[in-house]
Amino acid sequence: MAVQTLDISPVGRVEGDLDVRVDIENGVVTNAWTQAELFRGFEIILRDKDPQAGLVVTPRACGICGASHLTCAAWALDTAWQTEVPRNAILARNLGQLVESIQSQPRYFYGLYAIDLTNKKYRNSPFYEEAVKRFAPFTGSSYEAGVTISGKPVEIYALLGGQWPHSSYMVPGGVMCAPTLTDITRAWSLLEYFKKNWLESIWLGCSLERYEQIKTYDDFMVWLDERPEHANSDLGFYWRMGLDVGLHQYGGGVGKYVSWGYLPHEDKYQKPTIDSRNAALIMKSGVYDGATDTHVLMDQKFLRENTTHAWYDEGGADVHPFDRTTRPVQKNDIDHAGKYSWATSVRHTDVGRLEAGPFARQLIAGGRHGESWQHYDGLVLDMYKKMGGPNLHLRQIARMHETIKLYRQAEHCLREFRLNDPWYIKPKERDGRGWGATEAIRGALCHWIDVQNGKIKNYQIIAPTTWNVGPRDGAQARGPIEEALVGTPIADTSDPVEVGHVARSFDSCLVCTVHAHDRKTGKELARFRTA
Amino acid sequence: MANLLWLQGGACSGNTMSFLNAEEPSACDLVTDFGINILWHPSLGVELGDNLQKLLRDCVSGAIALDIFVFEGTVVNAPNGTGEWNRFAGRPMKQWVKELSAAAGYTVAIGDCATWGGIPATAPNPSDSQGLQFLKRAQGGFLGAGYKSKAGLPVINVPGCPAHPDWISQIVVAVATGRGGDLALDDLQRPKTFFQSFTQTGCTRNMHFAYKVSATEFGQRKGCLFYDLGCRGPMTHSPCNRILWNRQSSKTRAGMPCMGCTEPEFPFFDLAPGTVFKTQTVMGVPKDLPKGVDKKGYIALTGAAKNAAPKWAEEDLFVV
Repeated sequence: MAVQTLDISPVGRVEGDLDVRVDIENGVVTNAWTQAELFRGFEIILRDKDPQAGLVVTPRACGICGASHLTCAAWALDTAWQTEVPRNAILARNLGQLVESIQSQPRYFYGLYAIDLTNKKYRNSPFYEEAVKRFAPFTGSSYEAGVTISGKPVEIYALLGGQWPHSSYMVPGGVMCAPTLTDITRAWSLLEYFKKNWLESIWLGCSLERYEQIKTYDDFMVWLDERPEHANSDLGFYWRMGLDVGLHQYGGGVGKYVSWGYLPHEDKYQKPTIDSRNAALIMKSGVYDGATDTHVLMDQKFLRENTTHAWYDEGGADVHPFDRTTRPVQKNDIDHAGKYSWATSVRHTDVGRLEAGPFARQLIAGGRHGESWQHYDGLVLDMYKKMGGPNLHLRQIARMHETIKLYRQAEHCLREFRLNDPWYIKPKERDGRGWGATEAIRGALCHWIDVQNGKIKNYQIIAPTTWNVGPRDGAQARGPIEEALVGTPIADTSDPVEVGHVARSFDSCLVCTVHAHDRKTGKELARFRTA
Repeated sequence: MANLLWLQGGACSGNTMSFLNAEEPSACDLVTDFGINILWHPSLGVELGDNLQKLLRDCVSGAIALDIFVFEGTVVNAPNGTGEWNRFAGRPMKQWVKELSAAAGYTVAIGDCATWGGIPATAPNPSDSQGLQFLKRAQGGFLGAGYKSKAGLPVINVPGCPAHPDWISQIVVAVATGRGGDLALDDLQRPKTFFQSFTQTGCTRNMHFAYKVSATEFGQRKGCLFYDLGCRGPMTHSPCNRILWNRQSSKTRAGMPCMGCTEPEFPFFDLAPGTVFKTQTVMGVPKDLPKGVDKKGYIALTGAAKNAAPKWAEEDLFVV
């Protein structure tokens, strides 16, 4: 049996440093290992620091999801210090996070993902010429429009926090800002500008109101065929080209999904605690198991980390993050039977490895678990069932679909501010344990903090990419991206764009390197050689 | 026409994200209007795998002219000086940085990590990180104090966490339009055109500073953030209130204290307990005074300011 081998080092356009090793047989990936290749030690830096140090340091763990880190850091301290957070502050935090996520939609889609559709592999597709016209880097019509306009939503973040990225305007007890009427009207104008010049005109080819009538897979098909503007919008075009080039045929993954939920309701989380969070969220938390078609709520107490295959010297047992000690090994040699990544493997005590991200959020939004008032949206779950389960095409569609809902929630924040009410209630500093969570655009994010004697005793972060890119766990089960890579067809080993599709569809926060190895000997072979 | 290569070491991609917020010129304008040829960038580059490695080797050998080398993130040296904790394209990133900076026309450090070490180099600096030519305020860094790029300049330091997109793009435009010779650097190798003035220059709270009206806690519509909330605007060099962020505002305008992130000591006091968002004082006088002001002068100044303060200064100024 022929073993094809390849070595891409690196694949760009995923954030950070990642190597992936894949075994390929007969043009199909049969095994995969994901290796995170950068360690900066933020949890170690935060030890013994000021309790509020996380507000400064953690947004800088990721310049792309900084608002989401700040959200987690603030709520973690709120629960530890038992603060009261005024209604305006909840809205101002939510708005900051929303506009960061809205920013990411065009920036990620054009800048990181859609470029691959201009790959020569697709030159025989009837959509190819148009894809090049739209998505070619820097010069494509949609690329240039989308990447440039992606700076607009975060102008709203600057109105609240002074700048994006890397503000620390969310603090225990509220926010630092006290926006005025002109800040709010300016923010409205920026949202409208974004809607008119990209969201409706380029992305959807219709009004938000028309798009929002889509509730099912069949509704989506009706919308697609209804007018040429719909079919030729970037969403409509991507849908059609994605199916034409077969993106719905691979990249599925573990088939189980997690979301912490996000956007605490402004009237329901003013006295935040770890336990009361689930019932306070507009976008509910959850775990969805595709095999059994069941939804349950997610809770931080179900989370475990394992470092059997990660470059930490912390034993092989599953531990809760409050019990982590973060001891990096000194020599990070790659041993695929042993340790091979800086990412830990994260699992749910009962359900196992889970995929995080917009796809997970939308599948969970389709569940009837949670509170009756919480957000429900069955579209992506319906598509999932009609298409026979997960694939990389649907992972992308879920993200595109979410944009419209993020936009509506941002409008909600702007409507609900009461400008003469408080934005901050000064808290009393105290020792204790806290937990803050949210959904960054690329998935489930949370922070644990343990404050003792007025300083940080332990700070732990589980990022979305930790869920997705984690290595094998203590039971040797593959992580979500490792699993999603298995079964990926590779048409041309000298240009394995399919591996890029899968890695990029997760919006991994890592730069990716793919090593291919002879499956039989495990030995790395010459680059681009076909054995 | 100028070739530009941008790599990331111990980085969060924040400077890249900031750069992508640019307008006039946008990142796309730099390519289409100013002829900047972006050879590769981790978030934007098209080349991958073997082609990228060949491109990097061609830059090192001179087969491709590397006009501008931009580095974001720290140089990671751990463990034991090997740099193996940050591998890129099959080897420690620090090896690429050494070779590429030797070949570069101009070498530009973007953001605090690449200039001084930034957050990753905060004690205990677990990744043994350095900036390109500094570690905090100490000159030297990874490339050594004597390093000069082919254009005869040391590393151009564009600090900030992150750097403002205009600080980045204007340097690139200056080089691309033949104005590299006009780049004047201060003693920390920062372009003077941006870093001579202070963060406070242009702050909307300057009148509150002048009359010593303090914002004693967050979420207020008046008051200077220097006296109680730890703002470092009067002793930090940056144009944050001259060239606004995201075209709209600045941290101090929005109500967030300046943390001094364009200076090598950021994060100040290594984030020790009691130092975050709180002005450090001795007998009621701030430990760190506005640049060049001594303690006696400060007491005289603020005493007079208090006495002269008009009634309106104590009322809300930034009202609904």
